[in-house]
Amino acid sequence: MPQTSLDSPANLIVRMDNITREYPGVIANRNVHLHVRAGAFHAVIGENGAGKSTLLNILYGRSKPDAGRIFIANAHGVEEEVTNTLNSPAEAIRRGIGLVSQHYTLIPALTVLENVMLGAEMPILGGFLHPRRAAERTRELAAQLGIESLDLNAHAGQLSVAAQQKVEILKALYRGARILLLDEPTATLAPPEAHALFELLHTLAAGGTTVVFVTHKLRDVMAHSDAVTILRAGQNAGDFRTADTDSQELLHCMIGGGSRTATLLNTDFESASDDLPPKTARSLNDTGIAISNPAATAAAPVVEAIIPSPLLQVEDAVIRGDRRVIAISEARLTVGRGEIVGVAGVDGSGQRELSEAIIGLRRFERGRLFLEGSEITSRTVRQRQEAGIAYLPEDRHRAGMILDFSIAENYLLGHEDRREWGGGITLDHARMWNRATEMLRRYDVRSGTNGATALAGTLSGGNQQKVVFARAMEANPRLLVACQPTRGLDVAASRFVYDTLRRARADGLGVLLFSLDLDEILELSDRIAVLYAGRVAGVLNRHDATRETVGALMTGSSGSGKHISLGAQV
Amino acid sequence: MNGRLLKTGRLLRPLFAIVCGLGIAALVMQLSGYNVREAYSALFTGATGIEPGAARGASQIALGTLPVFSRPYHLNTFLLAQSLAKSTPLLFCGLAIALGLRAGLFNIGAQGQMTVGALAAAFVGQWGIGKGDSGTFPPLLHITLVLMAGAAAGALWGALPGLLKAYRGVHEVIATIMLNYVAINATTYFVTHTLKDPNSAAAQSARIAKSAWLAPFVAGSNLTAGFLLALLAAAALAFLIGRTSLGFRIRAVGMGADAAAAAGISVPRTLIVTMALSGALAGLAGGVEVVGVQHRFIQGIASNYGYDGIAVALLGGLGGGGVGLSALFFGALSSGAAHMQTLTDVPDSIAVIVQAIVIIFVGVRYIRRNKRNRGTFNLDEMQPSGSGIGSGKAV
Repeated sequence: MPQTSLDSPANLIVRMDNITREYPGVIANRNVHLHVRAGAFHAVIGENGAGKSTLLNILYGRSKPDAGRIFIANAHGVEEEVTNTLNSPAEAIRRGIGLVSQHYTLIPALTVLENVMLGAEMPILGGFLHPRRAAERTRELAAQLGIESLDLNAHAGQLSVAAQQKVEILKALYRGARILLLDEPTATLAPPEAHALFELLHTLAAGGTTVVFVTHKLRDVMAHSDAVTILRAGQNAGDFRTADTDSQELLHCMIGGGSRTATLLNTDFESASDDLPPKTARSLNDTGIAISNPAATAAAPVVEAIIPSPLLQVEDAVIRGDRRVIAISEARLTVGRGEIVGVAGVDGSGQRELSEAIIGLRRFERGRLFLEGSEITSRTVRQRQEAGIAYLPEDRHRAGMILDFSIAENYLLGHEDRREWGGGITLDHARMWNRATEMLRRYDVRSGTNGATALAGTLSGGNQQKVVFARAMEANPRLLVACQPTRGLDVAASRFVYDTLRRARADGLGVLLFSLDLDEILELSDRIAVLYAGRVAGVLNRHDATRETVGALMTGSSGSGKHISLGAQV
Repeated sequence: MNGRLLKTGRLLRPLFAIVCGLGIAALVMQLSGYNVREAYSALFTGATGIEPGAARGASQIALGTLPVFSRPYHLNTFLLAQSLAKSTPLLFCGLAIALGLRAGLFNIGAQGQMTVGALAAAFVGQWGIGKGDSGTFPPLLHITLVLMAGAAAGALWGALPGLLKAYRGVHEVIATIMLNYVAINATTYFVTHTLKDPNSAAAQSARIAKSAWLAPFVAGSNLTAGFLLALLAAAALAFLIGRTSLGFRIRAVGMGADAAAAAGISVPRTLIVTMALSGALAGLAGGVEVVGVQHRFIQGIASNYGYDGIAVALLGGLGGGGVGLSALFFGALSSGAAHMQTLTDVPDSIAVIVQAIVIIFVGVRYIRRNKRNRGTFNLDEMQPSGSGIGSGKAV
């Protein structure tokens, strides 16, 4: 049961009310509350961009809310308002708040002990350090945490990621933290390490420390927290006692669609939208592309889509993420002509890595990639483009376009070697400009009076996305890899994106749609592949997919998901 | 965002910086008890060659009576030539640094690249040397070979930090500064040992063959065809940046490396090529200094040109034309200050003050821009805003 307030203010250690924080163009937090009971093991969950980090940063004094009030209970349990005084991490530390951020702040060249002391040195007269006492205190703390094996004289740079995290926790406790904040603590840990971390945190909580951790791993939430606050799009989406809920319910709150009861009542999600794709099977017939798909007619849960000559085949892909951890393991995926394959999954389950590996920005550690039967595993990004893969990146501002380039230059980007685009060894400005102007007209891009010479940064998000789409589509690709294509867009711009993707399907293109928005996946896809923890947890026909089946696979909590997924050649 | 306004702004801002620099230097002189009017008039004459009095001799061209000053002026072609000659290495180095910054690379190594370029040029310049330094090579061929050697050596010296940056993530500022020391000490070793001039105690190479000498335009001056080559290089840079796909890739990598990579541009390759081209421009500065001025390698041949080139590039706004004007200004300033020092008792360090203040004023602009973007000053972000010379507007 969702509750707006779990406890009376009396036993709350952190009370944040009506917190609003606006960044230019984005409301990161709107009227958000966070109530944490003293001694609680409290999880804050939500998708990327839901406002979790902003809330944490406000609580740690790193950024000031535009509105709202913050109360922290002092060591005697007396609540004090800190709204106006909490304006630096130093003040937060003074109030007993410690933060272990996602990116560790240890200095590699210093020893563990020096790192722990740094900034909280215990000086004796005249500013001289007192390393012996500091070492004693640190050892005491380590013993309390059950990590006395940690070598205090080792250089921080030599430690494993998991050990560095423990040092971060030590650092916070050394500064007297009563409230420990952790931002995605298990994001870079292997499962046994994560297990050890939670054991340590439970020890802490048993000793009276309040633990607040931000995550999107529902399994961790269910296994370890005792209270949950869910954020969605900068607003509260529910507060629960972990004992009173399950991961299904949490997932629904996280990704929208309200509570479970609301979801069950509203079985036909698509009825909410006015311009719908026809049902999967029919849409395939409409395009005139013959795909025999027995699973669409049979009620069998196992998807055995038989595609005579698949457009894209991913075979047993193993892909490493940014920190060299395995982000995708043994993934198999097939995309046929004239179909949209949606790749669902909670944030961090490997979509980004998989999409980047398919377009060539990331290496395949193992496994192979085929486009129309020929292997392209070791081709460059440019060679894959020439072979017919077009990419619509997740982050328009960073990877989609160059904001300080004109629209015409952005339109040329990636085609700068092509004569017909105005490229070549020397650029043909007249042709480049004419093409861009023609594109602005056909895609109805509103660029103001400067036309194609306007800087891309002056366009609205929707118009930027149109330019990115136009650039991809005009290259006559055979496969579109679209990542979060409607993120941050308004309704009209989203409709343009949906229409374009559907038109691409109708024209016989294969579309691989990566999205964290389950509604988007369900609305557009013909088949849905679900990633969970770097594995393809299952592939469903749109026909068989419901919020529940996909959601279960997304959280790894599905028993039935296993036989759908394993070994299914999609 | 009117195009013409933008253009005027791009010209006005550096001019404002220059006026401020000259103004503050004047204040310093005034407070130190110097005669500012006298000093600046000498500086002006040294910088432009325009001096009062009737023309005397072949090297002076009468300008007649200027309307405002109501006395005759003449143009001292020697002084003007020295000014332009001084601009030549500054222009090459300024272009080298501007090109690097276009790709988001801060090439502090122009100094070292120019030094190794000069040594390679001096080495090739001794090919076919005969009695009395006469050469057996046809002059045009020999000069071309010498300059190519200078450019190639500079390119290699520049590509090295490019490689380190592209494949090992070594910051180019660190790598280029280190390589400057290597270049300066290694070349010194060569001209005190294997390549040493046997007829001199100084750390210098023997003279190059006369077939590799460039003749001065004005007798006794250092102004040679090398200056024209520098102007040509400025035009080539403007063309490269605005009109070629390579220049497009360089700008794309500089302004949005992630977007460039996603669009299939090889970021590592672009970084290496940019550093090699940048090094080649600095190496040419060394080559021209050898064929046009020193006719040999001398220790410290790069003077401070590689570092002054940073100021040239920043004041010039990283475009070919702007860097050209900026190099002319700094060359004239330095040449004028030398003239001022000989005529008055004002030390030529005044020029350094002017230069420093100009850099501060121009630099403020970059800091301000970066503050808006990120909140910190980051050398990696030192790139011009808007589209480049001839890129967006020319269409």
